[in-house]
Amino acid sequence: MGLEDFKAMVHRCSRCSYCKWIPFAHVKSWRFAKGCPSIEYHSFQSYSASGRLCISLALLEERISCFDEGLPDIVFKCMLDGCCDVACKVCRYDLEPLEVMRNLRFRLIDNGCFPIQDIPLIDNLRKEDNMMMARKADRANWAAGLSLKDLTTEKADVVLHVGCRLSFDEELWRIPQTAVTLLLDAGVDVGILGRDENCCGGRLYDMGYRGEFLKYAENNIDAWRNAGATTVVTTCSDCYHAFKRLYPEELHAPMNVLHITEFLEQLIAKGKIAFKKSLPLKITYHDPCHLGRRGEPYIPWEGRQKKIRGQILVYEPRKPRNNGACGVYDAPRNVLRSIPGIQLFEMERNREFAWCCGAGAGVRERYPEFSFWTAGERIEEAYATGAEALVSACPHCERNFLDALDQRGDSLKVFDVLDLVREAR
Amino acid sequence: MPLEREVYKELESVVGPEHITEEPATLFSYAYQWMAELVPDVSGGGKFFDRPEAVLVPGGVEEVQAIVRLCNRYGLKFHVYSTGWGPWAAPPSGGQILLDLRRMNRILEIDEQNMFAVVEPYVVAAQLQAEAMKRGLNVHISGAGAGTSVLANACCFQGGGPDCIYFDSPQNSILSIEWVMPTGDILRTGSLGSGLGWFCAEGPGPSTQGIIRGALGGSGGWGVVTKIAIRLVHWPGPPVMPIEGTVPAYRTKLPADQFRATFPAFPSWQSFADAIYHIYDSEIGYIAHRQYVMWGDELQAAFLKIVSDPDRQLCDLEELLHMPEIQKLTDEMRRCFQLILVGMTPRDLEYQLKVLDRILEQTGGWNVALVNEPAMQQYVLLYMMRLCFKNLNFTATGGFIDTYNSVASPDIWASGEIEAGKKLLKKYAGRIADAGDQAMGPIAGQGGGGVTGWEDFLFYDPHDPDSVQAAIEVSDEGDRLKAQQGRPPGGMLLGLARTTHTEEKVRAQKLVHAREYQWQRKLKQIFDPNGIGSGNYLWAAEPSTNGEST
Repeated sequence: MGLEDFKAMVHRCSRCSYCKWIPFAHVKSWRFAKGCPSIEYHSFQSYSASGRLCISLALLEERISCFDEGLPDIVFKCMLDGCCDVACKVCRYDLEPLEVMRNLRFRLIDNGCFPIQDIPLIDNLRKEDNMMMARKADRANWAAGLSLKDLTTEKADVVLHVGCRLSFDEELWRIPQTAVTLLLDAGVDVGILGRDENCCGGRLYDMGYRGEFLKYAENNIDAWRNAGATTVVTTCSDCYHAFKRLYPEELHAPMNVLHITEFLEQLIAKGKIAFKKSLPLKITYHDPCHLGRRGEPYIPWEGRQKKIRGQILVYEPRKPRNNGACGVYDAPRNVLRSIPGIQLFEMERNREFAWCCGAGAGVRERYPEFSFWTAGERIEEAYATGAEALVSACPHCERNFLDALDQRGDSLKVFDVLDLVREAR
Repeated sequence: MPLEREVYKELESVVGPEHITEEPATLFSYAYQWMAELVPDVSGGGKFFDRPEAVLVPGGVEEVQAIVRLCNRYGLKFHVYSTGWGPWAAPPSGGQILLDLRRMNRILEIDEQNMFAVVEPYVVAAQLQAEAMKRGLNVHISGAGAGTSVLANACCFQGGGPDCIYFDSPQNSILSIEWVMPTGDILRTGSLGSGLGWFCAEGPGPSTQGIIRGALGGSGGWGVVTKIAIRLVHWPGPPVMPIEGTVPAYRTKLPADQFRATFPAFPSWQSFADAIYHIYDSEIGYIAHRQYVMWGDELQAAFLKIVSDPDRQLCDLEELLHMPEIQKLTDEMRRCFQLILVGMTPRDLEYQLKVLDRILEQTGGWNVALVNEPAMQQYVLLYMMRLCFKNLNFTATGGFIDTYNSVASPDIWASGEIEAGKKLLKKYAGRIADAGDQAMGPIAGQGGGGVTGWEDFLFYDPHDPDSVQAAIEVSDEGDRLKAQQGRPPGGMLLGLARTTHTEEKVRAQKLVHAREYQWQRKLKQIFDPNGIGSGNYLWAAEPSTNGEST
């Protein structure tokens, strides 16, 4: 689909501003009622989902041009975190604001209108197959010394995909290393692609580079098939979203995809992971957007919109709704709750209406100040729970929180779910 | 026409470069509005009204005052909005700047003992309600829902809603006000004007409540109200409403011995009207509204089943309508409204329930059993208490207006106007949604009752030119029918959209018989001598007796 295909949808936006807030039912305070970091930071209507829908229409009607000077900033200063999409769909069954915003990005990139900050990032990606400005040759350094199958030459049931962030962010290497230890100890037949592991492409897709995404997606699917893997497990929520939603959507390639927390939840339930230590710690859990509301499984649909009773718009056949209801929220919480001593306190904005960490869709790379402000807002919310530590299940969120805390001179602890599992064993 | 550079630079020096823009894409985002397609003279049938020349996002009263003074100095018109929903939020014509008040978003005070809150323009009802509930208090929410500005609903627009029976109308709940007048002077009214705090509207300082508010509020063309104190009411529930359920079918589980949603239903419109009188007389009820009929009396039961169930979708509508139990329910609900009873104590609720039973007995009515199902009870309580699902108005087709409204004493329900409205909508069924009677409105428009009424909703598809045209035709025909009865036009929303965005001369002709607006125009000449407040439906040029603009 292209932007043109959303014209009817854009005509039907009521510009109600639901997209700027968390679902109103869940507002518990003045402080944490907002849902959209983009408009909160930039103030103008154009930086909201409804604003970007208006802009899409203005573009389609040639009232503005892709080449207007200020347009890329408006379009790309957004994490595509999707809280707007959830809030919109509390009442609307026929709008897909996130899809429109994504297609607006494709339109700009296809016309060569990208933020200048992308140039070194994309250049390196094309040479080194990663989003971290790092060398492909170093991709598997995190796994040095681990007895793992090399799936470029061996076969395994499960392929562990750790993603760009965890492959190159040395401070976070403990996360994939813990995942490997847990999986091997539980007797899982698992391996990695090592230095031949590619970027998942998910972040590229959200940044607007659909063509590059497709290249990496095809490569990854081929590599997994060659390895004989039936299941892909990932420690990264961005990668999870790419594999779970985008690969089947764009390439019609369904895979059995699990986030590591889902896999751990199963292993704990089967008694294959047991905890020996108590961790007396008050924590709060941050739902990564790409694991939560955007981590819903892709369900293929072919059909049409038709009108009944004169003008009432319905889909025939029933169209799957992606409104955040089926994201991965309980698995990480269940893992955390199974750890003795842990006390879990919820932030006001959680699950399908969680506030974003600020790292998504290239914002960290393109607009770091906005990215860290967004993370700072989440850190304030974490403090408001009385928790001693902020726990998540995505290395991009964790890195952004760590850097924002560092910038603030703050000392809140940040953990991955795997960190606590490791400590309690 | 772009602003003169000198003017732009001066405005920029007030708000800072990051809070002013002339970027075309952003300006278009402020021109897009619901209903624009229904005013084709201005929009060409599209979604855009006139663009502002620049948008400013001021951070406080001092910046607002400086902007308004600059506008006076340069003869530059300005329009202002808070949450900005609706055609009256877009600048009425080109050549104006727009002030977006979203940065003025603080709750400045909640005075628990004196039961009021002081807020800035971008505080929405959901926020203030959440904070008030922590203190055992609650706030009126406009019929437009929890996402709209408390201040704008009270001072600058119609602002009524389902809870007026207990909370009173918002205009009666305004206490002191801080107002940047169209000249740029700041007027602090009521007790605030004498430096005594926010607690009173009528003095010992000046009272300009009626001037600021008028019939429907100035809708962005009458200076800038920068702070108000608003009256709060008692909330006997938990400090945080507990939310359950799966998106989008959220629910709240409130103590059953103090909260009860009911659907009183009646065998005739006369008994419906009689019951309203009894409710006024007995002083029961926290919220009273004919809400779900917005989907039409033929569809409301099925729609309610859909929106309260996370697994259902609109494509289930036809199947539901064929189910015998839904058909029975549809008949049961045809002449019903939603009445939320809240007891300050369990004994209070017990009393109110007994009174309701007695009223139903006297009028031959019944409480629709559907609302007693636990999940539905919780859904309805949340819906009515928070008004967090109000955008369901747009769910069916993406567009709605009202067409054949009535406001009067309760007898109006038995006057035949409901059937007349339904007949009008049926005539256009197909080009608009075929839903039946869509007369949605408050059982009481003011505290304790006395006035009631409705808006006849109409669902049209904004993407379908024929459906758009049909909506216009229904509205015009409704206005003609009302005129034949010597009554004012029925359709408020489209009427306001048209009169806000048409030329002043046309507007003056349309409003020639609206005496309240003529009175307000005279005030406008006094308070806004340079005419820099944006033109809209209030500020049409003075019409002459033959309807010509003078």
